[in-house]
Parts: sequence; C-alpha cells; structure tokens
Amino acid sequence: MSNISRTIYEIQSLDALAKEKRWINELHPLVKICVTMLYIGMTVSFPKYCLGGLLAMAVYPVILFTVGELSFRAGLRRLRIVLPLVCVVGVFNPFFDREIYAYLGKVAVSGGVLSMVTLMLKGVFTVFASYLLIATTTVEKICYALRMLHLPKLFVTQLLLIYRYIGVLSEEAGRITRAYELRAPGQKGIHVKAWGTLVGQLLLRSMDRAEQIYESMCLRGYQGEFYYGDKIKMRGRDIVYLCIWTAALIALRCLPVTEKIGSLFM
Amino acid sequence: MHMADALIGPAVAATMYACSGVAGGYSVRKIRLENDPKKIPVMGVMGAFVFAAQMINFTIPGTGSSGHLCGGMMLSALLGPYGGFLAMIGVLLIQCLLFADGGLLALGCNIWNMAFYGCFLGALLIWKPMMKRGASKAKIVAASLLGCVLTLQLGAFSVTVETFLSGVPELPFSAFVAAMQPIHLAIGLVEGLITAAVLCFVYEVRPELLWGVEAEGGRWTLRKTLSVFGALALLLGGALSLFASGYPDGLEWSMERVAGTAELEAAGSVYERAAAIQGAASLLPDYAFQHSDSMAGTSLSGIAGAVIVLLLCAGCCYLFKFFKKNIDHE
Amino acid sequence: MSHIHMEIEQLSFSYEKKVPVLKDISFFAGERESIGVIGANGVGKSTLLKLLVGLHLDFEGSIRIEEIPLEKKTLGKIREKIGYVFQDADSQLFMPNVFEDAAFAPRNYGLPEEEVNRRVEMALRAVHIEHLREKPIYKLSGGEKKLASIAVILTMLPDIILMDEPSIALDPRNRRNLIAILNQFDHLKIIASHDLDFIWDTCERTILMADGGIVCDGRTEDILRDEKLLEEHGLELPLSIYRNNHAGYAENANI
Repeated sequence: MSNISRTIYEIQSLDALAKEKRWINELHPLVKICVTMLYIGMTVSFPKYCLGGLLAMAVYPVILFTVGELSFRAGLRRLRIVLPLVCVVGVFNPFFDREIYAYLGKVAVSGGVLSMVTLMLKGVFTVFASYLLIATTTVEKICYALRMLHLPKLFVTQLLLIYRYIGVLSEEAGRITRAYELRAPGQKGIHVKAWGTLVGQLLLRSMDRAEQIYESMCLRGYQGEFYYGDKIKMRGRDIVYLCIWTAALIALRCLPVTEKIGSLFM
Repeated sequence: MHMADALIGPAVAATMYACSGVAGGYSVRKIRLENDPKKIPVMGVMGAFVFAAQMINFTIPGTGSSGHLCGGMMLSALLGPYGGFLAMIGVLLIQCLLFADGGLLALGCNIWNMAFYGCFLGALLIWKPMMKRGASKAKIVAASLLGCVLTLQLGAFSVTVETFLSGVPELPFSAFVAAMQPIHLAIGLVEGLITAAVLCFVYEVRPELLWGVEAEGGRWTLRKTLSVFGALALLLGGALSLFASGYPDGLEWSMERVAGTAELEAAGSVYERAAAIQGAASLLPDYAFQHSDSMAGTSLSGIAGAVIVLLLCAGCCYLFKFFKKNIDHE
Repeated sequence: MSHIHMEIEQLSFSYEKKVPVLKDISFFAGERESIGVIGANGVGKSTLLKLLVGLHLDFEGSIRIEEIPLEKKTLGKIREKIGYVFQDADSQLFMPNVFEDAAFAPRNYGLPEEEVNRRVEMALRAVHIEHLREKPIYKLSGGEKKLASIAVILTMLPDIILMDEPSIALDPRNRRNLIAILNQFDHLKIIASHDLDFIWDTCERTILMADGGIVCDGRTEDILRDEKLLEEHGLELPLSIYRNNHAGYAENANI
C-alpha cells in the first residue's frame, strides 16, 4: 500500500534529517524540548485578538528554519493534519463574533475574523515548532531527555521499542495489505469479511515477534532492567541557547515589543 | 480526534498533563508490581502493532468511506489496562512527534481523551466484568462495541469541554457537542466492529493472549462498580459545573479571581513581590482582555511592528546564510 | 577456551503433551567442532537449538555444558557461554543502533563502560562491520543485519555459537562473506539449516534430523554426498555436489 510505504519513508527521512551534523542538531535535546514547549505555551497563551504580538512569534520558526537549514516546504506539509481541524473550529468565529474590532484602512475587521486568524496562526506556529524539534533531534535523544526528566525507565524503554518496531511492523502490514489488494483489485480498503483475519494475522505475528525479542533479551542477560550508556553533556552553548530563547520568548509575550517598534514607523 | 496545540490553553493543557501523568505513574507502579520482565517488550511491540494497524484502511460496507482500528480498547484487551495505557501513551507521543498528529502541548489532553478512557474505563468497567466468567464471541463483540462507543463518546465530549475551557471556539457549546457526539458515535461503532473482528480472531486462534479472561482473584463486586461510576460522575460533574459558570474561561477566570484576592490582602513590598509573581503566573492563563480598550488602537501598529521585526530577522538570517556559504567555499 | 563441550543425552521435548517435537536425541559436541544440523522444514531443528540455550526448560533427558547441567539454577551461567543467533535479525536486534545493541549484553553483565566499548569494538572488528557502529538498525541491509546479529552475541565472549538458518535471505556475496567469517571462528558452532551448500562450506560434521529424532550423525562429506539418504528425508544433494556429480568430476567437489 503506497500509504504505508510513504509513512515508512517519512519516518526514515525524518530520522536521517535529525542525524545530520548541524550545530542545531548537536544541541542538548533537553534544552530543545524546553525551548519548544516554552514557545508553544507562549504562542498558545496569546489573547485571541492579539494578532500583532502573535505575528512576532514567527521569529522563532523563521530563525530556526533558516539557521537550521531546514526545508520550509517539509514544515508546511506537516500542516495537512492539523490545519483542517483548526480551521473547522475557527471558521465559525466570524459568524458568532461580529463586533467590529479594528479598521484596516476602510475595511472593518470583526473580532471573529481576528480571532480566526490568530487561531490559525497558532496552529501553524505550534506545528512548525514541533517539526523544528523532531527534525533536529532523534527520537533516541528525546528519550534520553525524557529520562533526564525522571520519566520511568520502563516507559522510556517501551517507547524506544515502539519506535524501533514501527518500521518493521508497518512493512509487515504493508505486505499483508498488498497481498490482499493484488487479489482484490478495485477495492478501496479491506472488505468486512477479512477484517478479523487480516489484522489478526498481523497481531499474531507481532506477538510472536515480541516473544522472540524477549528471548533475545534474556539470552543476553536481561533481567527486567535496561542499561543505557553514553551521556550527552550539557555544554555552555546549550545553556546560552536556552537563556537567549527563554528571555526572547518571554519578552515577545509579555512586553509590547512589536507595538513599540511599529509606532516608531507609524 | 487528536487535538492540536492551537485548540487549547496552557492552563487546560497543564491540568490534563497532570491528570494523565498521575494515571501514567499509577500504571507504571502497577506494571512494576506485576514484575513480569516480558511485559516491556510485549508492550513495545504491541504499541508498534497498533501504529501499523491504524494505517490499514477498512471498507465500511454500504458506504464509500473507510474506518480504522481503535487502539485503546485493542491494547487493553491484550495487555490489560496498565500496560495498554502506557503503550498507548507511547503511540500518541510518537504520532505527535513524527506526524504532527496532535500537538506536544495537547499531548496530555490526547492521552486522557483517547488512552485513559479506552484503557481504564474500557478495560476495567467493560472488558473485565464481561469476561470474568469466560469469554465468547458474542461477549467480545458486545464488549468491543460498547467499549469503543463509550470511550469515543467520552473522548469527544472531553475534546469539546477542553477547547471550551480554553476559550477557543466562538461556537455555542451545545452546537459543538451536537456536532461532535453523533460523528463519534458512528466512528465508535465502526471502530468497535473492527476491533471486535480482530479480537474474535485472536479468541479463536490463541485465546490465551486475551487479557482478563477467566482471571482469578481481584473480584469485581457491585460495590466496586458503583464506586467507580460514582467517581466518574463526580469528575464529569465537576468538569461540567466549571463550564456552566457561564463563562467559557471558567477555569482560568476562577483561578485569576483567587489570585486576585490574595493580592489585595498583601501589603507593601510583599504586595509588590506578589504582584510580580502574579504577573508571571497570569502570563500563562491569560485570557482576560487586559488591554481591550487600547487594543483596537494599538493592534495595527503592533502588526506593523511584528512585520518589521520579521523582515529584519529574515534579513539577518539571509545574511548569515550568505556569509556561511562564502566561508564554506573558501 | 579449553574443554568446551556439550553433552546431550536422551533429550525429548513436546510443546503440547501429546505431540512430541524431539524424541530421544543424544550427541556429544567437542571443542572447536562445527556441526551442521540439517533436516526438512519442521523436523525440530530450531526447537533443538532453543532447548540448548534453555529457552524451554521442561524437557526430558539431560543437557550438560562443560559438565554443568542445564537447569533453572545454572541458566544464567550457561547463557553467558552460549551465543544464539536468531533466524530473524530484526527480532534479535531490538535496540536503536548497532552500538547500543552490541552493548546490551556486556552492560547487563555489569561491566564498566570502557570494557563495554572494548568488547563492542572487538566484536564489530571480528565480523568486519566497524563502519556500521552508529548506524540505526533499520538502515542495515539483510547481510549487514546478519553480521550485526553475530556481533551482538560476540560481545558476551561466548564459547559456543548456535545459529538458526544463518544463510536465509542472503545474497551470494554476503553468503560467501558469512562463510569466510564463520570459518575463522574457533568456537564450538552448531548451525541449523536446510541450506546444505552452506553446511557443506562451514561444517565438518553433520547431524541429519527427521521427525524429531537423529537419523544420522557423521562427517559432512559422507552425509551430504549420500543422495539416497538425503532424498529419503526430504532433502536434496547440495547444488555444488550435484553439479559436480553430473559433470563427472566429483573428486574436485571439495573446493
């Protein structure tokens, strides 16, 4: 199924992107997670009519996309899941909130339109932020940061295993569905009669695989505990990066920076 | 049903993170008590399985559309509520990181809406009591359907409540609910049928894989059921009453009021410090229209300022790249 | 590495009560031997290997490794001595990248990180994949995966290596490479396979299994040339011998 192979390809290309040797990829994962969460939190917390302040938040993605040399188009593609959802919620705002809020020249802008635009911008910015995180940080490094945050090892290990086997099992799912499609041409999906057996087969194979993995672990001395090796050291530039962005984001959110600058010119 | 970051406010997100975190911590403890070293690899592989199985399209007879598998119910029927919940968190986290399916900030909400209901309620209130005296195909179908429909209904309702508590949509609450619930009823039925088909197959071929079938010990009494339902009712009631305070931002609004009164009682330098803290704290749940008078006047210059900042920033980045390229070439 | 041996006496095993998978198997495997276990699909080759590393303990008869009987108490000690290479490398390699996977065993045995590093280096060098150290598992080719799954057990410094269908899904070059590497090892090796050419190239001794029991145990050269014996048990002559036989210069088959 092309859908499944596309997904696998997407996972692998993201992983390859995150493994490249750029300075932004080399930053400490915990620092990047903190900055990303702070950015998303700040962005989302903007009042619904505060378009000016929100626009300035674009500074973060703009800088990271260019300095990190990431493809802007790939970031846009990631919007395809989130944006429709946000639009569905936002598109009603102009109908329910008709109070005039501002004039752009002679065009009256209602509160609803303004809040719709800010909502969509929030959607775009937050998706960009998480893309900037995952495109520069591998899942293993994120797991490392999660362990630094004292998430239980059991959970993190499980997460790593899920990530490790997504590709393997998706390929298996792809093979099963392709075998089905070849013998059932012209069908859009899996027919109701085959629902149970088809996925059931995949499930049993996965269970068998889990059994083998467990055996493989046991044969190499596993006793319910995972040990991880190399530590990622927090360096000076990580701390500088964290401090600069924290200060900048808080300033952008709390101080009327954009209005001051704008009023210099208007 | 994956929520996006833009649809929730920081306060709601943090609350839901806390709720999901508590449920997650509890599950980790339960799994540790089980002390079964095999559980971790099985959870990992089953998480990956749900991920893979959700990519398969199932034709819904009589319609042109397709459905997908319900992960929460499926996982808890195989791993039990605790293992299922943790595996589901893993799946949601990876979906959100790799595919932007649901946001990082909204992850707490998504875990609650999809994993908590499916795993805890689905497994403990529906699957376990029904399978206690042995399983049968009819029981599996009934449990899967009931479980999926119920958990999706609760999940959809929670999505609505969470977005409204965040003050995002202008749409009336009732209209949103009226739109969300029937759609998710249909989805729940389809997901329930798919899940039932798969679980029936497993029951036929390898029944020992199903969780909680003829499990001994841990009796499920009527009292226990009632107390769980009671707790659930309280929880839902609490959420509803918050909403019913008539203001979409009920939660944050009441928080600010609490913070505000505390501020008034203080005096002198303590007051100033408290104000500073309050300023910092209110930065997150900030939906009050502090500048609502001046906003209309200044927002234009605000937008202009933002555009200027962005242009400057883009220019600097361009220069940076330009010089970097030159240096690389040399 | 002295006195490595394995003694199996009257070994029987069944998954379900009534269906025996292995029946009355006895053999002795000595130091530096490499033994091919051959037989058609489903004769119990894989089960036999699994029993030898103690993945099922409810067997009848006895398995002794260096005079230590295989039982629950001795499991940890025995498993340290044996490396088991799975048929499906994807199930064996569960960590994110080659290094992490190779380091799994030594870390579990509580070795300090420098020693872990040293052992991983050694193991990767032994199968010539030093360059794959940091590579994620999903990016490895089939042949690289197989070599990596051998490397990850070499870090335990095993005395005995068991392999289940090692040559499956390998292209000719990777196959030749694997044969060359295996022939360099001086461990006691037991290789289960129905790829007789592979056995021909790697093992001096062969055990032919059928229906859960041992039919024949002897020199590879004798067993794999016995067309009638092989055919009786659902196997065929190795391709190289077949070709040589029919071209009329069987003397040169042992290349």
